[in-house]
Formats: sequence, C-alpha cells, structure tokens
Amino acid sequence: MNDNKIIIEIEHISRVYQMGSEVVYALRDITLNIHKNEYVAIMCPSGSGKSTLMNLLGCLDTPSSGKYLFNNLDVRDMDDNDLAEIRNKEIGFVFQTFNLLPRASALKNVELPLVYSGMKANERLERAEQVLESVGLTDRSSHKPNEMSGGQRQRVAIARALITEPSIILADEPTGNLDSKTGLDIMKLLSEIWKKGNTIIIVTHEEEIARYAHRIIRIKDGLIEKDEVNPNYVKFE
Amino acid sequence: MIKLSEIYEAILLAIEALNSNKIRSLLASLGVVIGISIVIIMGWLINNMDRALTDTFNIIGEDMFFVDKYEWSGGGNWEKMRNRKDIKYEQTIELKEKVKSAEVIIPNLNKWGSTMTYNGENYNGISLVGTTFENAKTPAGSIELGRYYNEMEDEYGSNVIVIGNAVVKNVFKGQNPLGQFVKLNGHKLQVIGVVVKRGTVMMSFIDNQCFIPVKTFRKIFGNNFRSISAAVKAGGKANMDKVRDEVQGAMRTIRNNQPGKEDDFSINETKTFEDSVKQIKAVVYSVGIGMTMLSFLVGIIGIMNIMFVSVVERTREIGIRKAVGAKNSTILMQFIIESSILCLIGAILSIILCSLLVYGSVQVILSFNPDLTFLTPILPYELLVIATIVSIFVGILAGLMPAIRAAKLNPVDALRYE
Repeated sequence: MNDNKIIIEIEHISRVYQMGSEVVYALRDITLNIHKNEYVAIMCPSGSGKSTLMNLLGCLDTPSSGKYLFNNLDVRDMDDNDLAEIRNKEIGFVFQTFNLLPRASALKNVELPLVYSGMKANERLERAEQVLESVGLTDRSSHKPNEMSGGQRQRVAIARALITEPSIILADEPTGNLDSKTGLDIMKLLSEIWKKGNTIIIVTHEEEIARYAHRIIRIKDGLIEKDEVNPNYVKFE
Repeated sequence: MIKLSEIYEAILLAIEALNSNKIRSLLASLGVVIGISIVIIMGWLINNMDRALTDTFNIIGEDMFFVDKYEWSGGGNWEKMRNRKDIKYEQTIELKEKVKSAEVIIPNLNKWGSTMTYNGENYNGISLVGTTFENAKTPAGSIELGRYYNEMEDEYGSNVIVIGNAVVKNVFKGQNPLGQFVKLNGHKLQVIGVVVKRGTVMMSFIDNQCFIPVKTFRKIFGNNFRSISAAVKAGGKANMDKVRDEVQGAMRTIRNNQPGKEDDFSINETKTFEDSVKQIKAVVYSVGIGMTMLSFLVGIIGIMNIMFVSVVERTREIGIRKAVGAKNSTILMQFIIESSILCLIGAILSIILCSLLVYGSVQVILSFNPDLTFLTPILPYELLVIATIVSIFVGILAGLMPAIRAAKLNPVDALRYE
C-alpha cells in the first residue's frame, strides 16, 4: 500500500522570526521525508515550533533556509500565486478551530476550494454533496456552522479538505476543541480516509492523538528529537 | 488569471456581505448618492439649456443675420457703439440691392414700448416693427391666423397691422382680432394677421412684436426715425459664411469704412446666443464639477472607511479563503467588486431620486409657466449610463486601498486573527 512516492521532502529547513531586535529560531534544522499514504503525527509541545512547522508544511509560509520539495516542486521558488495553487490542489487543511466561513452553509463551505480552482457550479455542487455524504453529513448540507455541533463542524472541515483530492491532509490538533467521544469519531474518520489511500499528517501535542498515527515525529526546541514507526497504532474495526 | 467562477462568486459574496449590513452600507453610499445626483442634475440642466438654445435658434432663424448699430451680446465697447452713426433706411435699401446672394434683405424699423389702444384701453408693451412684405419669408413673419400684408399694401403704406401672438391675449383678451381696428399713436390700423407663437423663457417679449409696412411706420413716426437695422436671411445654413462676408463688404462700402478701420456696424446672429449659452454652461460645469468632486471625495472616503472596517472584520475569513487556495488577485477583486456594488447601489438610488425630483419639479414649473416647453421631465438615458459608469469607477477607486490591504494579508496571521 505504500508505493514509496515521496510527497514531502524537507532538508535542513529553518524558520527565523525577527521580534524587534531579537531573532527567534522557531525551527532550527529539520530534515524529513513523507511518503504517499503515510499516516504521520508530528508531536510537538506548545511553543516548540508546532504552528511554524504546520504553516511551512501547508505552504502557508516559506522557510528561512533549507530545501522544501513538495511533489518534487521547490517551494522556495514559488510566489504567492503558486503557493495558493499548491494549497488549493495539493493540501487539505483541518484546523483545531474548524475555520469555516460563518455565513456560508456546510455545502458552500465544502465547495469553496473548487470555486478557486475554477470548477463549474453544477459540478462543484455535485462533488460537494458526494464528499459531505462520505463524512456522513448529507442531512446537514444547508446548515450554517453555528447551527451544527463541534463534531459536525469538523466533519464539514474534513469534507472541505477532501474535496480537491489533495496529496496530503494536514490536520492541526483536529480534536482540540472537541469532547473525547466526538474526538474519537473524528480520529476514526481520519483513519478511514487513510485507508482509502490518502496521506495524513497530524500536528499535535497530545500523546492520545499521536497513538493513531503509524509514524511519530517528535520535535523539541526546533529540532527533531525522534522519528520512529509506531507499530502499536490504534486500529478501528 | 482570474476565473469566471471567482467573479460570479465575488458578486454573490458582495451582495450577501452588503445585505448583512444594510444600514451601514446605505449610510456609506450617501456621499456617492449625492455626487451622482449632482452629476445627473447638472447633465439635465445642460441638456435643457441646449434645448432652450435650439428653441431660440428657431425663434430667430438659424440662417438669419441682423445688421445693427449695436452688438447683441453687448460685447465690445458700449460707448464706442453708441458713437457709431445710425443705420439709415436708405442704407438698408442699398444693401438689398448690392447683396445678391441673400434670400431676403429687409429693413427693420424698431419702436420699442409702443402703446396700442383698443376699445379705449391702452396696452404699453408693444414692440412695433416697420418692415416690408418680405418679412413674411422670415421666421418673424410666419402667419398663424389671417395673412401678411402684400407688396401692394406695403408700397401704398396701407393702415394694416400684423400682430404678435401674445397681443391676442394681452389686447384682445383672447377674442378673434382679425378685422378689428387698433390705434397706435393716434393712427387707426386694421388687424389682418397674427404671427405664430415663438417666445419661450428666452425672449417671451418677442410675441408682443407687431409688424406694419415701412411707409405706414414712417407716416406715424416720421422720416427721420433712427432705430433701424437690416434683417438678412441667408437662405440655408450653408450660405451663412458667404452671405455674411458679402454683407460685411457691402456694408463697409455703403458706410464708407476706410480700409484698415474696423466696421462701424455689427452683424448679429444666433451664434451670439450660442456663445452666451456656452458661457452659462461653462459656469454650470465648473460649479457642478467642483461640487461633484467634493461630494465624490466625501463619498470615496466614506466607502473606503467602511471597506477598511469590512476587511478587518473579515480578516479571518480572508485567511480561510487563502488557505483553501484564493489568490491575492482573487481577494483583491472580491473587495473591489464589493465596493463597486456599494457605489452602484448608490447610483441606482440617485437615479430614482433624481427621476422623481426632475419629474416633479418640471410638472410644478410647467403648471406655473406652460411656455417652458423645452423642459424635459425624463432624464436622458446617456446620463444614466454615465452615472452608472462613474459610480463603478468611484467604487473601484474607493475600494482599491482596502482591497490591496486585504490581498496582502499574510494567511498565517489572518488565520490566527481573533
């Protein structure tokens, strides 16, 4: 099931912030590869460069130094438009706070990435309905985010992440704002998505969540502390 | 490349965003409403001035010249014109003989403020003109009722009079004047015709003009009457330049103007009115443009402000859109479309407002003075097109800075924004 195609190839990247006169090293020197259909957890205590790494992986930000190849494309050479296109086509974000458009219905939220990729309205709608169905939310398609529970909102977000059939699903603390039962449902959904052949990267500081991943990369103080396979990952029936 | 789906989406989005802040949007577009209203009203005024001008051309005749001691527009030096020699009746006859290219050349002996007596009652506002039967060929002598005096009556100096349209009302109280006798300076004259109504707001006095044969005029006012001009009908607008040149040359010879010296007479034509209307238009334009600029400035600032607020409020939304693939240009366009639609709504409001205003006020004005027939109660459609285009332009201008700010937002910071 792992055809060994490398999707993410990171060599010695760093990210430096200038805070007034002080230079802050959010990431010092990170090297890692992620293959197609991996299920990776990046474990990172708060304040150890977790958000920075997430932003870099998601092409929301670019590294200060080092090499980042996404599907063999060098991210450092990209301008804002290229990055936007990569995010649109290759990356599906799942955020801790869901980040849905508050005034738009679930269906509208889900089809949003397709608006920016230029798909026709009727195709978009059909596709969005399919994806919503696959996350079990057919009956909620006309609801707005404030009319849904946290778990339902995260399902909408996952549907939105899936709709462009991206190379990776990048989830930042996907259960952080959910109760443990709902969180479990979401993790189950992510595992199902992985089983269908998707590549999943979860950025988290919770051991509980990392247990579901097949590989755990631990980051501390901007460096990789440990990168190991997790043979005892939690399996769902 | 911006995709069509994005534009369509941006328009829907803009309408939704404006709809969710109705009062705020309405207030923000007030400045634009005022600006566009001024543009529309100004355009309407100028349009109506042009119509009034055209009416005036029709009163005087587009191919008419008037050779006179004075210049109509009062241009030049009044003192100098007063010192010119009077134009003599004989000179107008000589002019007629010399200038062959003109269709009609007739003398006009003008007696302003004459008193007409009918049924023992006096009316003072008559402007009496002594002229030949050929006046019938000019716009001034177009007959509505009865007939103009003929060559025979002209030659013999018959006691006949052709009266102005307003005289029917002013002297005859609307009764049929044909065949009635009136008295002018103690001379009894029979009314044989009424000329068509010509006056509007410009020159309503012209309908108090009455015409009698030159000989009759000279019987009443004497042979030394001095206020004389020559009316020249060129016979088509194309002939104007040729006839004007010939009239000028002939008149200089007749008046013995030495070479190198300027004319001691003026050739007046409707162009004079055109020039003065041009001046009024220039004033309307400059006042209007000044006011428009000012209100657009206020309008642009108002809309820019509300758009900045909107960008800040929607920072997180911008972050989300960028995260799922919106390009900077897409976000830029989204906000520019929003502010353009805001201005477009302003334009629609002003078009409705101005239409009601113009329609209402024209009805009221016409009920007081039905002569102002050149006033249009409907706004010309070109104006509406201009107003719409201007409003969109203003929207783009006002939205540009906020939109650039939105487009340049860093997605990481925007997503983190609470």
